Amino acid sequence: MSSVAAHYALLSKRSLVNTIRQPIAIIPSLMFPLIFLALNSAALAESINLPGFPAVDSFLQFMIATTIIQGGLFGSIAAGADMATDIEGGFFDRLIATPVSRTSILVGRVAGAFTLAFFQAFLFFGIAMLFGLTVDGGFLGMLGVALISATAGAGFASFSVAIGIKSGSAEVVQGSFPLIFTLMFLSSAFFPRTLMSGWFQDAATINPLSHMIESARSLVISGWDVAEFLYGLSIAAGLLVIGIVISLLALRARLADKA
Amino acid sequence: MSDSSLQHPIKAEALKRSFGKIEAVSGIDLAIAQGEIFGFLGPNGAGKSTTVRMLTTLLLPSAGRAWVAGHDVVSDADRVRRSIGVALQDAAIDPLMTGRELIKLQATLHGISKAEAKAKGDALLERVGLTAAADRRVGTYSGGMRRRLDLALSLIHEPKVLFLDEPTTGLDPNSRQAIWDEVRTLNHEGTTVFLTTQYMEEADQLAGRIAIIDNGLIVAEGTPASLKAKVGDPTLQVALDPSADELAAETVLLRFGESVPSAVGSVASRLPGGAEQVTEVVRALDEAGIKVVGLELHNPTLDDVFHQVTGRRLEGAAAGASVGEEAEAPA
Repeated sequence: MSSVAAHYALLSKRSLVNTIRQPIAIIPSLMFPLIFLALNSAALAESINLPGFPAVDSFLQFMIATTIIQGGLFGSIAAGADMATDIEGGFFDRLIATPVSRTSILVGRVAGAFTLAFFQAFLFFGIAMLFGLTVDGGFLGMLGVALISATAGAGFASFSVAIGIKSGSAEVVQGSFPLIFTLMFLSSAFFPRTLMSGWFQDAATINPLSHMIESARSLVISGWDVAEFLYGLSIAAGLLVIGIVISLLALRARLADKA
Repeated sequence: MSDSSLQHPIKAEALKRSFGKIEAVSGIDLAIAQGEIFGFLGPNGAGKSTTVRMLTTLLLPSAGRAWVAGHDVVSDADRVRRSIGVALQDAAIDPLMTGRELIKLQATLHGISKAEAKAKGDALLERVGLTAAADRRVGTYSGGMRRRLDLALSLIHEPKVLFLDEPTTGLDPNSRQAIWDEVRTLNHEGTTVFLTTQYMEEADQLAGRIAIIDNGLIVAEGTPASLKAKVGDPTLQVALDPSADELAAETVLLRFGESVPSAVGSVASRLPGGAEQVTEVVRALDEAGIKVVGLELHNPTLDDVFHQVTGRRLEGAAAGASVGEEAEAPA
C-alpha cells in the first residue's frame, strides 16, 4: 500500500508543478475572480443598504467567499485540461505502461486542484484584507472557507478530469468554462437569494453552488459556526464523491481496451 | 506460464488485433530468445506499433496469446509491466518537467526507493549524456536528447526486456548513432531488445534477427544476412567508355554470373563472389581491351528483401537502396 500512497503523492505533486509552471494557465483562476470582485464591489457598493440584504460591513465582505470559490472552480478546469493533454501527448500511456496504481492517475490531478484552491483562498483573503476586508469568523473562519473552496474545487476538478479522460481533448475540457460561469450566475454568488424572485430564485435555490457559497459567506460575515461549515463542506464533499465516481468510470472505459 | 515462455522472453501465438472492421495485426507468431535484438521492420501502418502495444499491455489482443518475460500479457499484465522497459514511438515526455524530475517520477512509479532512485538516475543520465541538461525542462531538449532521456527512463528499473518503438525516427545521423551504440551496449549486458523500425538500415545494423511485417502479417523472418542471401547475389554494374563494345563487355561478364538489365552505356551482372571477385572481373575486362569508366557493386539490401516479398519498396529506402558494402559498415 505504501507504494500506492507514494504514487498518489507523486502524481499530486506533478499536477501542482504542472500548473505552477504554466503561469498563463493560472491567470484566469487568479485574475478573473479578482476583477469580478473589484467591479462588483464598486458597482454594487450601495446595495448592502437594501432592506433584506444580510448584515455586512461592505460588499467586499459579502462577496469574498464567492471570489474564493470561483477561483477554486476556475482552477479546476486546468486539472481536466492537463489530464487531456497527458492523453493527447502520450504521457498517459507512459504512466500506464508502468505498474502505477491506476486510480492515482486521476486522484493525483484532483488532489493537485484541492491543494491549489486551498492556498489560493488565503491569497485572495490576503489581497482583500489590503482593501479593508474583515473576517468575522477569524482565522478559523478563513480556514473553513479555504476547505470548502478546496473541496468544491476538487469536486469540479473531478468532473473536469472525467471530461478530460473521456474526450482526451484539452479543448473540450476548456469548453466547459462557460458552464461554470452559468452556474455561478444562476446562484447567490453575486446577490443574496432573499432579494431574488421568481424562477431565478428557484434556480439559485436548487443550485448547490448557492449553498456552498452561503455557508462559506456566513463564516466571513457572521462568524465561525461548526454547523454552517459542515453544511457547506458536506455539499462540496458530495459533489467530490459523485465526480470521483464518474471519473473512475471514465478511466475504466478508457482502460477497457488495455490489459 | 509455459516452458517455452521461460526460454523466450517474448513469445506470441496467432496474435491478432482488429479496430472495428480493420485488421491491424492478422495473426503473428513470435519467439524471441534471451539476449537477442529482434528487429521488427515494416512500413508505416504495417502493424508494428499495434504489436508493440499488445506486447507491452497497452492494448488487448483481439485473439491469440502472448507472453513477455514469462507472463501472460493479458492475465498477468502487472507482472509484465514490472519486467519490461518501454520507449514508445513519440517519446511522450512532459515538456514542463526536467529530465531529473522525470527520472525520479519513473523510479517512484516502479517502487524504487528515493536513495536508490537518485543514484540510479544520476548514473543513467550520465550514461545517456544528459547530466548537464538534467535540470532543464524537457521542453528545451532537442529530438535526440528526448529520445535519449526516453531510453534512460525505460531503463530505471533495470528491465530484462526492452521495447523500443521506432527509437530513431526523425533523428539526425549523429543522434541515431548514439542511440544505436546505447542499444548495443545494453544488449551486450544481457538485455533482450524488441525494436520496431521503418529504416532497413537500422534493422540491418542492430538486429540479429529480423521479421518483416506488412499488412499485419510477418512476410519474412531470419537474420539480415540470410534474408538478403535469399534475394540473390550482389550485382556488379560496369559503366563503359563510349568507345567500348557493349556486347563484348557483356560476354566477359557472363563468365562470372547471370546478366542483369542495365542502362545504356553500362552492363551489369550478378556476381556470386561479391567484392572479392571484382578484381577478377576488372582484369578480364582489361584483357579483352574494354575501357571501363566506373564500377558499382550493389549488395542486396533489406529493402530488396521487402521488395521481393511485397512487390513494394520501403518508405525512405530510396536513399539507402544502392549503398554498397563500404557505406553500410558501422561508422
